[in-house]
Amino acid sequence: MSLVNYATREITCKIVYYGPGRSGKTTNLHYIYGQVPDDRKGRMVSLATQTDRTLFFDFLPLDLGTISGFTTKFQLYTVPGQVYYQTTRRLVLQGADGVVFVADSQAHQLGENVESLQDLHANLAEQGVDARSVPLVLQYNKQDLPRDLILSANDLGDTLNFRAVPEFPADALHGPGVFETLRAISELVLTRLSTGAPAMAR
Amino acid sequence: MNIATVESWIEAPLKRYLDDVHAQLALLLHPSGQVLAQAGFTREVDVMSACALAAAVHATGGELGRQVEGTAFRGLHHAGPSKQLFLAPLTTSRGTFVCLTVFDDSSSLGLVRLYFDELARALASAAPPLPVRSTPGPFIDFEADLNRNLAALFGRDEVV
Repeated sequence: MSLVNYATREITCKIVYYGPGRSGKTTNLHYIYGQVPDDRKGRMVSLATQTDRTLFFDFLPLDLGTISGFTTKFQLYTVPGQVYYQTTRRLVLQGADGVVFVADSQAHQLGENVESLQDLHANLAEQGVDARSVPLVLQYNKQDLPRDLILSANDLGDTLNFRAVPEFPADALHGPGVFETLRAISELVLTRLSTGAPAMAR
Repeated sequence: MNIATVESWIEAPLKRYLDDVHAQLALLLHPSGQVLAQAGFTREVDVMSACALAAAVHATGGELGRQVEGTAFRGLHHAGPSKQLFLAPLTTSRGTFVCLTVFDDSSSLGLVRLYFDELARALASAAPPLPVRSTPGPFIDFEADLNRNLAALFGRDEVV
């Protein structure tokens, strides 16, 4: 849920990168972190295992600047993708204003993508949130891998994008698609906020 | 100690609490990690990271409690070599908040616990009713601002 402070004209929004294990959620945040000037970002916090798998979440605070007269801040989170971290995913998802679903484009990962998307819907429902009301963007990551190993964005869209939300092919390791994804989810979140989404209004 | 709050009714009870317990740092946050008040932090972006971590500790402590005892653990204490922290929820008419208090040898856990209960009562008493929410009216036609800011962040030409 966004925090809107009318006194100081500040808005803070929470965006969660969701998806199966090793799909590239943390890589998205690392790329963003590497691109953004120091004075516009906070410390990136990663609660990871010794092998750098996300254990709880990654967190990156971003200062987007002034939008429509409001100082706008985004808090970017990732969830752990592995199936057995269900509880922590639910905790991180709490209060999300928007979700980026990072799918792994590798053909053999299609089942994991579908399962993770179902898991997202189930976790939102458990929190009393209608998944259809939450701003969602799909990112088809790893499109840089050899063609014979991956599914095209069209094929992935046919399976995953039944809500016809914005979708982007990406190579989060090198950057293509990362910016476009963040821009799209930002726009959806701000649009929803401007049309009366639940928020803590101060 | 400088205190920054998003609502004025928080300030007086929080200031009194921090003075009473000689706290070094403090955060009042929503359980989802949104900051409502901070004291002692110098960089705003560090506040956001601390809030995310505090919300995580609170959430995991609660969930762990529910799993092993059937009810959430309330009030977590960690002691380091020179600093200690106390993290606990409090409830007001505006909802449940989480308070993180960082203190050193000039205070004690007993003192913090004692005054935390007082803080919870003071905030519950000071909290005004939840206002009827209005949408952020000026938040329209934002696309140009959004594009300009994101382009600046990523050091690229604006997306049209």
